[in-house]
Amino acid sequence: MPRGTIPPAPPRKSQYGVDPQFVTMRGAELDGMTSVSLGELIPDMPPVIFPSDRGVASIREATEETLARVDLSKIRPGSTVNILASHHGFTFLKGEPYAEMLRTIRDFVETRTEAKEIRLRAGLGMRFRETEEYIKAHGLDRYFNGKAIGVAPIDEGVPIETKIGTLYGLRKMYDADVIIHAHNSDVREVHFHRQVDRAVKPFGMSYARTETRSTYHWNLGPRAANFVARSIFDSDFVQGKYGFSCFMIMSPGGVVTVDADNDLYALNDRVTIGGMKNYGKIITLMGEIDECIVILDFPCPVPYVFAAGVIYANMVGANVDLFDLDNPLPPYTWYTETYYDDRGRPLADFVPPVNPAIRTVVHNYAWTGYPSAFFAEHTPTIVVGQEQAAHFSRDPMNLSYMRYALTANELKAAMDFAYRTTRTDKVLIFDGATGGMNVSFSLAEFLRNRAPAVVRHVDRELMPKWLAQRSIDASLLNLVA
Amino acid sequence: MKTVNVHARVNMDLCKGCKNCERVCPVYAVKVTRDGKQVRVDINDGLCVGCWNCEQRCPEHAITMVSCEPYTLSTDVTSVDYEQVVELCRKAHFHPKQVVCYCTASRAEELAAAILKGASSPDAVVRATGIGAGCGIECNQPILRFLEAAGKTFERRKKSHQWYGRTATAWEVPEEVRRKYPVFRFEEDLEMFETIVNSPVNR
Repeated sequence: MPRGTIPPAPPRKSQYGVDPQFVTMRGAELDGMTSVSLGELIPDMPPVIFPSDRGVASIREATEETLARVDLSKIRPGSTVNILASHHGFTFLKGEPYAEMLRTIRDFVETRTEAKEIRLRAGLGMRFRETEEYIKAHGLDRYFNGKAIGVAPIDEGVPIETKIGTLYGLRKMYDADVIIHAHNSDVREVHFHRQVDRAVKPFGMSYARTETRSTYHWNLGPRAANFVARSIFDSDFVQGKYGFSCFMIMSPGGVVTVDADNDLYALNDRVTIGGMKNYGKIITLMGEIDECIVILDFPCPVPYVFAAGVIYANMVGANVDLFDLDNPLPPYTWYTETYYDDRGRPLADFVPPVNPAIRTVVHNYAWTGYPSAFFAEHTPTIVVGQEQAAHFSRDPMNLSYMRYALTANELKAAMDFAYRTTRTDKVLIFDGATGGMNVSFSLAEFLRNRAPAVVRHVDRELMPKWLAQRSIDASLLNLVA
Repeated sequence: MKTVNVHARVNMDLCKGCKNCERVCPVYAVKVTRDGKQVRVDINDGLCVGCWNCEQRCPEHAITMVSCEPYTLSTDVTSVDYEQVVELCRKAHFHPKQVVCYCTASRAEELAAAILKGASSPDAVVRATGIGAGCGIECNQPILRFLEAAGKTFERRKKSHQWYGRTATAWEVPEEVRRKYPVFRFEEDLEMFETIVNSPVNR
């Protein structure tokens, strides 16, 4: 690894990615790469409790501390309890902090109540075995005495009556007397949720049936869709079972703390503010990049690979302010994706283009299991390795990904081609580096130069607008990590 | 349009006959029967759309997907009256040229054409177009909205975990909800939909 780069997240054996043996070189190993720390760019980034010298002990301590303030009286002697989790939580920092938070919730509830049975029900996205893989990798099946399962959106449903009619949850999520909502505050899919009811979203997604998820992505609109989760959470059915929420509070640098509350909307306000404050600056800074080659190099599907705690999908839309609710349509959402005709022309003039600063994508390592052809269709893409190309062509969600992407046999060859054809030496690597991001020297310098102005712009102009659009009192800003 | 390049195969040494595969198949291509302790699984390759649902949800890892001679699931839009296609798309609140399935990049016009040519249930639409044979999640509502717009009713198979029902659209959000929750921008998103749906159709 060149001096100055941060070790990337290692490849992970999974049925959704090529075998790690085929990942023969990482982007961070290329000549000309260095790193830039989050602290250099954004001085007011909050301190993190993980990663730290204390390891996951800090997560257990923070979880116990916050849970001590939660009212557990809904859990009565003999109650069954489902701890509801989501697969995304396991993608942070190798999944260790999230797994520890889940273990701690279990232990705390077992110690403080006379619950009969405490189970882990982990929702998932489009890779129906991914959560199973995490459960096994972190020993959660043993920890929950065999009562830990992944629940897929095509599993048995349960109708839920809401303010907008019948929606459908997953029966296994709700087959207990009490449910505990165990999630994280990572901004992640801000292109979808727009930081509106971020903390509520899993009720319309991870814990929901196919019909409900499809409602979110097709029926209501890119901003209105976020009402789906609220309508389910507010339903008599869910309120009758809801106990409390416990969130791992994230910043681009890691885990800031753990926050629990019986009142999900109070927690949601804190999550909303913290997310805009801690992620708003780094995403806005990415939007300043004028040209670059992006390297995808992380064990996740294409849009979910990380750099500086921010996913690639955020970079795809960074040419538009994703937090600004006056912008109807981000450059990438599943609504946007459908609004190009069969000749690639947008159906309306308000359809924004994919971030034109991304001149070429070098796909060194990223998974299938998410429809990703849109990315290859809109940005020149070079996939490294014939095995990876073949892997994509077998995936039912990516049968046309390789129709648009080129293939190179090795990373260096892909980069040589990218340098020659784009004529830029700015490189941004989405490889899960912790505490900063791996970039080329030229991009590091660019980011250091631009960061102070971006920080000022976000603090003085954007944050007040974002908060006002969500009717959030700006005085809460200093109370949130 | 979807190219099918895999079919499902069951290892009966591992299968315990739980019927999960049967319940998650969007086109009812799997039939599990039991005669005493003897379990039998029949997968109809003629119906299979290569979606991987059965493989992904088998708790015993008894199903594998094997390569098959590729073939396409598609409906030729030019084989129907395009004016009827446009009419049905608009009735379902879609633009004929917009994508309705992220995995196959199939367009609304193909979905409409399949229904106009006789597909009258969700599984028939999937078989006629390949729409719904990718992730198996997201295009659920477009399929159900089109069938309803065409006046097609179908009975859900009760033992199946598929096709629970159509849900609310932007056109049906109650007025009191729109007024009470302005942060969700219901009116503006509805306006955006209307602009897309009514955009000119360039063939």
